[in-house]
Amino acid sequence: MEAYLLNLAILISIYSILAVTLNFIMGYAGIYSLAHAVFFGIGAYASSYTALNFSASIFITLPVAMAIGAALSLVLALPALRVRGEYFVAASLGLQVLAVTIFSEWKGVTGGIGGLIGIPPVNIAGLEIYKPGEFIFLTVVTLIVVLVVINRLVHSSFGRSLQAIRDSESAAAAFGKNVPLIKTISVVISAALTAVAGALYASYLAFINVESFMLDTSVLIMAMVIIGGTGTQAGPIVGAALLLLLPSVISYLDFLPQTEIGSIQQIIYGLGMALLMIYRPGGIIGRKKVTSAGGSK
Amino acid sequence: MLALQLAITGLQTGAIYALTAVGFSLIFGSTRIFHFSHGATFIIAAYLFYFVDVSGYGVIPAILAAASGAIVFGLLMYRFIYVPIQRDEGSFFTVFVASFGIGIVVQNVIGMVFGRGYVAVQTSLSKSVELAEGLYVAPLAWIAVLCATVFFAALWYFLRFSTTGMALRALSDNPELVRVFGLNPKFISACAFAIGSLLVVPAAIISGATQGLNPAMGHHVMLISLAATIVGGIGSVPGTLIAGLVLGLAESLALLYVESQWTEAVTFAILFLFILLRPSGLLGRSATH
Repeated sequence: MEAYLLNLAILISIYSILAVTLNFIMGYAGIYSLAHAVFFGIGAYASSYTALNFSASIFITLPVAMAIGAALSLVLALPALRVRGEYFVAASLGLQVLAVTIFSEWKGVTGGIGGLIGIPPVNIAGLEIYKPGEFIFLTVVTLIVVLVVINRLVHSSFGRSLQAIRDSESAAAAFGKNVPLIKTISVVISAALTAVAGALYASYLAFINVESFMLDTSVLIMAMVIIGGTGTQAGPIVGAALLLLLPSVISYLDFLPQTEIGSIQQIIYGLGMALLMIYRPGGIIGRKKVTSAGGSK
Repeated sequence: MLALQLAITGLQTGAIYALTAVGFSLIFGSTRIFHFSHGATFIIAAYLFYFVDVSGYGVIPAILAAASGAIVFGLLMYRFIYVPIQRDEGSFFTVFVASFGIGIVVQNVIGMVFGRGYVAVQTSLSKSVELAEGLYVAPLAWIAVLCATVFFAALWYFLRFSTTGMALRALSDNPELVRVFGLNPKFISACAFAIGSLLVVPAAIISGATQGLNPAMGHHVMLISLAATIVGGIGSVPGTLIAGLVLGLAESLALLYVESQWTEAVTFAILFLFILLRPSGLLGRSATH
């Protein structure tokens, strides 16, 4: 039971990092990405490949994962600069589909459909961390660091520029803001921090394959942000915890078919998203009505 | 000969893509509602056809079931999801998320009822006939092209000459003016949903027979619909039609050069290039409405 709870807590903190980083571009920059799992995957594959072939030291694997995530995020940033709203959703959906093909075909790096096995545990200056009781500290500390970084950014002049762009791109440009640069930086930061979550996830499970980084994961992360509250500080974490606790709660309800837990979970959060948008678009934590998040026209 | 073979397959795929995408484009262009669960309409129609057909009621009742299922779902979405959201303000984002959520629900309900694996509609029409040496074409390919032609001709006639069709085009230009003319925008929007949903029915049925069905294919349908709508130019029905055909042909002809798992990458590459170089699309007016 204790091991089960620990495992759940570790997954919640890793998914919280994912939700917080997606919320950063979604809630503050108005970039609705359906490709967040791509950068989660890139981080996981990059750090695992480094750990398996070069060094398992966290001081090498994390920077490599972040650098590769940041560099590849330009693929997401480019269409985000050209278009917004519905166009960008399409571009990110396409990117997600393409990434899954690459993850399952590039066997030399990703191990193909079979994935990578025997990924070494996190190594901090010779100290190997693999026991869940120790790993939880690592993920929680990382989550706090990510939260602090994002919080500082959001409340800096950079964050205010971002929100200005979200609300009206032309107005922000008229005020002399370098819109393309600000948007690109926000995507790069988000992708680099997402890659950290991927690196932690891979070394925690010691096994990854493409199934963890498919569209379903992107959808799940987006649902976490939306249900928790887009553009709020605590919302994404609340959303992550709620949606990950959901399967355990369902499995306690004996009258539901146990083989369909995954489907029931998805049905619940799908319905939750639709109902929230009708009655409370700001999410559980958010304001009652979103004023301008998204206005694409 | 291989190129010709692939071109004919591509034409079939393109016809299916065009039908699906024009449905979405018509809804989006006239009502400005980002109907992301259009993919759900597709799988509802496909599975209803499959279910009625497998149960042994015959093809005509199956087609009727698929068509009514699609139209009812489209109208329900409009009435119970989009109208309540738009009563407040309904930004692109709120509409998208709600629609997306319902899409997830439909996918999983169908997965629970019919299983998550592939099922296929059995018909002798999907059996290939050798037309010339090395050239195999299934009768379904001609049916797909014929269906697309008939449906698009009817759609063109409807939009051009019927009162509701003209009102639909007017709605995409100026909803206020439609109201001033004493027409009911809600009724016209509902028409757009009914017609747009009906258009995916032939595509869904033919796909079920040619490539099989899977509850998760709604996302692929949406990627194609969005790609064709954007490449064709948002708000342009002819543009979407052409783009759908082009995407189908491109995916098929790409097999001359790459393996089949990369066909979606071809769609994505075309979409990506258009977004970067010509966001207004082939026949679109302007990207920044």
